[in-house]
Formats: sequence, structure tokens, C-alpha cells
Amino acid sequence: MCGDNMSKILTMPSNLVEIEKTINLVDGFIIGIKGMCVNTNYCIDINNLDILNTINDKDIFICLNKNMHNKDLEVVKNILIELNKYNIKGVLYYDVGVLNIYNSLGLNYDLVWSQEHLSTNYNTINYWHSFGVNYAHISSDITEEEIIKITEKSNAKLMVNLFGYLPMFVSKRHIIKNYLEYFNLNDNSNINYMYKENKTYPIIDNSIGTQVYSNNILNGIRTSLNIDVEYIILNSFNIKLDKFIDVINLFKTADKDNIDKYNEKINNMFTNVDYGFLNTKTIYRVKKNEK
Amino acid sequence: MKNKPELLAPAGDLERLKIALKYGADAVYIGGPLLNLRANAINFTIDQIKEGVEFAHSLNKKVYVTVNIVLHNEELEELDKYLKNLEKCNVDAIIVSDPTIVKEALEKTNLEVHLSTQASTLNIEACKFWKQQGVSRIVLGRECTKKEIEEIINNVDIEIETFIHGAMCAGYSGRCVMSNFLTNRDANRGGCSQICRWDFDLLDEEKKEIKGEKPFTFCSKDLSMLKFIPDMIDMGISSFKIEGRMRSIYYIATVISIYRKVIDEYYQQKDKYTYNKEYETTLRRCANRDSVPQFFNEVYDSTCSYYNGREEISNQDFLGIILDYDKETKIATIEQRNYFKKGDIVEIFGPKHNIITKKIDKIIDENNSEIEIVRHPRQVVKIKINDTVHIDDMIRVKY
Repeated sequence: MCGDNMSKILTMPSNLVEIEKTINLVDGFIIGIKGMCVNTNYCIDINNLDILNTINDKDIFICLNKNMHNKDLEVVKNILIELNKYNIKGVLYYDVGVLNIYNSLGLNYDLVWSQEHLSTNYNTINYWHSFGVNYAHISSDITEEEIIKITEKSNAKLMVNLFGYLPMFVSKRHIIKNYLEYFNLNDNSNINYMYKENKTYPIIDNSIGTQVYSNNILNGIRTSLNIDVEYIILNSFNIKLDKFIDVINLFKTADKDNIDKYNEKINNMFTNVDYGFLNTKTIYRVKKNEK
Repeated sequence: MKNKPELLAPAGDLERLKIALKYGADAVYIGGPLLNLRANAINFTIDQIKEGVEFAHSLNKKVYVTVNIVLHNEELEELDKYLKNLEKCNVDAIIVSDPTIVKEALEKTNLEVHLSTQASTLNIEACKFWKQQGVSRIVLGRECTKKEIEEIINNVDIEIETFIHGAMCAGYSGRCVMSNFLTNRDANRGGCSQICRWDFDLLDEEKKEIKGEKPFTFCSKDLSMLKFIPDMIDMGISSFKIEGRMRSIYYIATVISIYRKVIDEYYQQKDKYTYNKEYETTLRRCANRDSVPQFFNEVYDSTCSYYNGREEISNQDFLGIILDYDKETKIATIEQRNYFKKGDIVEIFGPKHNIITKKIDKIIDENNSEIEIVRHPRQVVKIKINDTVHIDDMIRVKY
């Protein structure tokens, strides 16, 4: 748990080693199923779910957050049934089709509405809650003030990203592969970067398509003390393990007396840290806003 | 044969709404003053929506209003009142992506609800869910293949709408917020700054540049389903949607009239239908961007990518619009949209006649003086046209 806050800490680990090294520091993990999730670092094969039995006494959430096409539906059904044999807390989903299948099966674990950019108001969270979705993964595109309002008015249990690179794009297209093919280029990188105006954005092209992350690492440690959610999520994507462990420890022990110091520590650990949209409201009526 | 599909056009304002319907659209979709994904377009006022609906209904056609933003807490307060206002306008449906709006509209108004492509609905189970909630039509995600659309139509009894023409998002709708991060403009609330059309340097995992002949970009070619319209009619798709609420009247008139012809030609004489290459040429010139079928035929490789940078040249084909025509004197009053001159050979097209080819032989300006060149923007001139033409017919370059 966080220091002054009752929120539990979930991480999105990058590999099994990281799970082993952080298992005593955190309350749970988000783990993906290979081929069925995006923006999820550590993914296991559906035939290898027994790994979950090695992670004892932790809240395990499974990520099935890709956009589902018809051919995926039977796979999803089988995964949801199979997962019922394990002691997991819930499944993060993006596609409404997953909810419809889940509701037909009578399973023991919960669902987490995890449409990362769409969970931006309390009413829609309550809408999904009325269909039995007990958790909502709040958008990273909203302010701390908006999150607080959601915590006050939502019926669902909530989780929110407060550390790490943030997802900002998912496509079915293989955008890097296409570029390399078109210009006869070779590259076998596991991760690439897009660069513009001194900013570097991690980009991954895998079997599902293309995913892009933010240039900066979100540092939401201050917000962790101001909001009342079930879980805060710390994401280790593209972060070195020793630094990530330091970050976990800072979140775990943060309180109102040390928060300024801890906030500064995280800011100094990385060259590219910001507060994301926690303190920045997006605009959309440009002309009106550009007075 | 299956029911004739609706041809659904975009309209950014009343002028474009009227042009779209006159040129053959069965319905138009528009943005109102609030809660739509073209926050920086002119958009319709409530009074203009009423006028547009009355105009459409007088032609036995329909108007749908997009209410398709992803709501933040602050927008919840204005929602109910706005939906009631749209109901009073007698609109035929609203196009929605946020479930809160689906629920509020269905519970508190008599509005028909179409689920926006912004919801990225791609599969049978998701369609079943939305049907159960009372949605009457689903605009499928653009990533759906032909096979997937067929499977959905065969398994879920709900109207299906698909895009047939226009610009494509690079990512799944709703899952791209690059605009938020790079420009602070909220993509899911109508502020998209089209980062997918920007150029970037691509780096490898060591952060060394991977350099092609052109810069790295997400930019995809436009969508054109012209060749597949017969297939799509046979599949039983209910509505064919054209993208582009910000597009010009010339674009709308051209694209709508071409698809109107293709749908009608196939529907009326299926056995004798042949693909008309000239239609493809006309569409290509009008859009000025390459267009391909993309996900429908499961080809979304590098042939769908656009690596031309930002060197698009604006289209100069649209020469003028007819404001009036005197049948006795055969004099047409024309408002200029691009430079033309005496001696030019032009085409006149409109919804009520075949294309007329004409050499411009005499041009009279507003002072009744004969002139050689029409060079001033929106200049009004008179030209004699022996074939009958009509108000809102358009004049374009002959190619």
C-alpha cells in the first residue's frame, strides 16, 4: 500500500525476474495473455497459465485488452473459462465483446473496464458497473481534479496509472514493418523510437499491430496521496529494474511530510519526467481557447 | 437482391447539407453546437439543424447528428438539455460513442441511436451487446474485413453502416491520443490535430536513425470502396458512409454523385453492371490523394501507407457553381471558384443531367462587359449554355 493512502500498488511488470524481485513490495501485478493484449509488458502463453500459481497471495489481474475481431471470440471464451481455474482478481478488457462473453459464463473473478482513453467520466463507469463490471481503469488523459470527482461519484472500484510511460496509440496496422518494407530497410529492434523536436516516443510493432507510448514518464506520486482509489498502477515499461524498485519504494512510503522530497527524487531519477495530464487539461475547442 | 443501401454524406454546414442531398445522398450526418468530434468546424446551430431537417424531410431524406465525443465529467451537465433540443429538431438519429449518451438518449428521449465508429465495434458479440441496449444501427470499425462484416450481418439483426470513402485514421478509433500528448488537443473530444500526418525520424533500439528515402509517418492512404460497391450491396450493408464533414461542396457533390450512380447502376441492372474506370478517375482527381480499399480486402500493408510528406497540392478543378439559369436566354449565372478563361473546355455536372461538355466562348461580367478571364475569387459572371443546366450545378475542368 501507499504510505498515507490506502490504495494498493499494482505493477505492470516487464518480466518474471521483475515479478520475483518486487513480489514483496507490491500488492499485485497486471499480466497479459500473449496475442490478446496491447501495452502490456509481460505476457504469458495461454498454455502456460500455471505460472500464475507461483505468484502467491497477490492480486493478479489478467490483461485481454486488444480490440477483438470475430476470430478472437472463441479464443477469448476459452481463456476466460481457463482463467476461472486460477486465483485471479480480475480481467482487464477493452472490447465490449469480452463483456458479453463474460456475462454468459458465470465466472468467479471480476472484470475491469480498461478502455484507457474512454474512461473519463463517472457516469460511464457506473454504466458499465450496472452490467457487472466491478472495476474501472481510469483514463490517463484526465486531470487529478477529474479523477477525484470520479472517485466521489463512481460505484465501481477504481485503478489509475500513476507511474510510467503512457499508451497513446494502438493500431492494427504494422506501421514500422510497412515503412521498412517500402524503403527496403532492415531492422530487428524489439522496440523503436519516433523522434521529433527533441522528443522521443517508444513505438512497438508486434503481431497485433503498432503501439506508441508517451515521450515522458508520468510521475504521479503527489496524486497518489490525493486520491482514493483501489489500486494505483506503476508501469515498468522501458524502465531499468533498479530504478523501478526505487520508485515502488517511494510510492509505498510517501506521506504528506516527505512528498516534496520524494517527488523531487523521482524527477531527478529520469531525464524525461512530467505529470502527464494530472495537472494539464486538454483542450478541444481550439479557437475558443486561443484567445 | 438485398435492400438498397442508404448513401450517407457528410455535411459541415447548411450549404453542404443541401448540396449533398441534391446530389443524391439519402441522408446526411452533421455536427451540432456541442459534443461532436469536429469541435473546430463551423458546425450547425440548433436553428440550422431544424432548417436542415425540414429541408431533408421535404425530400423524404434523413439527418443524423453526431454526438460522438468521449464525455468528461464537465460535459455530463449539458447532455440532457442538448439531447432534448435535438429531439425537438426532429432529427432522425444521433450518432454516439459514449455509453452514457446511448443510455440517456434511449431512456430520456425518443431519439434513435446509432453507435459511432468511434466505439470501434468489430465483432459479433459487441454488436449483440449494443443491439440489446437498444441501439438501432452500428457503424463498424474501419478495421473490419469483408468476411467479418458478413459474419456480423448474418449473426446479428441490426443495421450495419460502413465507411466507403474518405480519410482513414491510422489507429483504432478511440485508441489514438497522440494529439493530446503532442499538442494538448483532445482527440476524443473533437480536437484531433492529425499527428498521424506528421513526419518523424524513426530510430532503432539503440536510438540510431533508420532512414528511408522519405520520412517515417503514420499517414495512410484514403479509403475508396468504389470497386467493391456491388459486393457490399449484396452483403446487405444498410448504409454506406462517406467521411469528411470538413470537405468542400465540390468534393461532396463529386463523391456523392459518383457513388449514387454506381449504387443505382448496380441495383437497377445487376447483370449488366460493369465497373466504370472514369468514375475512379473523377474520384481520384477530386480527393487529390491515393485511395485504396484497405482492411475490407485484408490488404493493409505498405501499399496503404502514404510517404509523400505533406506535399499535397490543392485541387483547382472546381471552376464555378451555377447560381441561376434562364431557360429562355440560356444564360447561366456562375460564381467563380477557380480561374478559368475564354476558350477553356469545361464540364458541367449536376444531379439532374449527364455531364455536359462545353467550350467557354463568351464571358460577361457584373458590369455587362465582355471579359477574357475570370480571375477573382467568387466573381459572378454570365455564360451562355445551350443545354439546360440547374441551380447548384458545378463547372469543373475537363480532363
